[in-house]
Amino acid sequence: MSAAPHLSVETLLDYWLHETDAPTTDAIDEHLLACDACGERLDELVALGTGVGAAVRAGMVSAITSAAFVQRLAAQGLRVREYRLAHNGSVDCTVAPDDELLVSHLEVPLQGVERLDAIARLSLEPDVEHRLHDIPFDPRAGEVLYLPKLAQVRRMPAHTLHVTLLAVDGSGTRELGRYAFRHRPWDGA
Amino acid sequence: MEPSLDTSAAEAPEPPEARVARRIARSAPGEAREAEAELYRLLAPRARRYGLRHLRDAHAAADLMQHVMALTLEQLRNGRLREPERVLSFVLGACRLTVMDLRRGERRREELLQRYADDLSIADVHVAPRLDHQRVADCLEQLPERERSVLLMTFYDDQASDAVGRQLGLSAGNVRVIRHRGIDRLRRCVEPARSLS
Repeated sequence: MSAAPHLSVETLLDYWLHETDAPTTDAIDEHLLACDACGERLDELVALGTGVGAAVRAGMVSAITSAAFVQRLAAQGLRVREYRLAHNGSVDCTVAPDDELLVSHLEVPLQGVERLDAIARLSLEPDVEHRLHDIPFDPRAGEVLYLPKLAQVRRMPAHTLHVTLLAVDGSGTRELGRYAFRHRPWDGA
Repeated sequence: MEPSLDTSAAEAPEPPEARVARRIARSAPGEAREAEAELYRLLAPRARRYGLRHLRDAHAAADLMQHVMALTLEQLRNGRLREPERVLSFVLGACRLTVMDLRRGERRREELLQRYADDLSIADVHVAPRLDHQRVADCLEQLPERERSVLLMTFYDDQASDAVGRQLGLSAGNVRVIRHRGIDRLRRCVEPARSLS
């Protein structure tokens, strides 16, 4: 449709996320008014983003995130259930029927940590170990925020989840903290 | 970063919207319904896309699309568009002005709809794809932790790379690299037959 070269995915994403300067934005606006191939590629990126948002809202995704992100979700009206665990702490936890987001704050000393891994063990599957590799963290935060898959947790029977945070560097691995979540299904209380 | 976007190639063949716009302009008002429907089908999705990017609201974008297309057809029918082959420039200008008006709150959505109601739904238009959320979730779960976190925080409410980086202890450049890798992987997983590259 257009004689101009097609836009890269990076450029389209920068444009969509308002990371382009004003002249570049104007030029891309003009290009997209003439180029259906780039427009449809942008539509696909936007659809992917919409899908990600919907999956989060449906509690279908687990991820490490930040306090600012959780605050934004709460400000948008999502019902957030948060548990804060002190360093090496444990907590009794549940999920209410109207909870839309479940968040765990794990206090942990992160200064000097190069890479962070986590190991999760579920009492329902004592022989299975889930390792999260190279999880993102802000050393200044002093905590790791974890969003479990709420939809999955809601369906689970009573169990305990043990989480161990590990610092990984060239000299090996050292334990940073241990945490326990004693989950009970919602009993209406 | 700065894309090459010269759309004025001298030897380029005439784009279909220019040909169709000229046909409408040459016809008596209301006698080129087929051409009008074709122009709508060609340009309405692009106007809607512009609205989505600049207004961040699907309903407002749909209203902008309807308003701009109705205005464009009106101008062509009445011979007020002196160079019909430059219809794209007119549409872009109309999109920009409409967004500015909407932001200033001078033109309410209801007013737009009422004024241009007769020209709505002239033709079927390209609709943005919808993805299976369960499939997207399953594919997200397969990503490395960093990519999943960056994509989640980027896409949930359209966060720029510097904002995501500040929250995850990463540089904006690093976020952009992780983001691109993650999107490529996610796209390949969600729609394995297609590639973003």
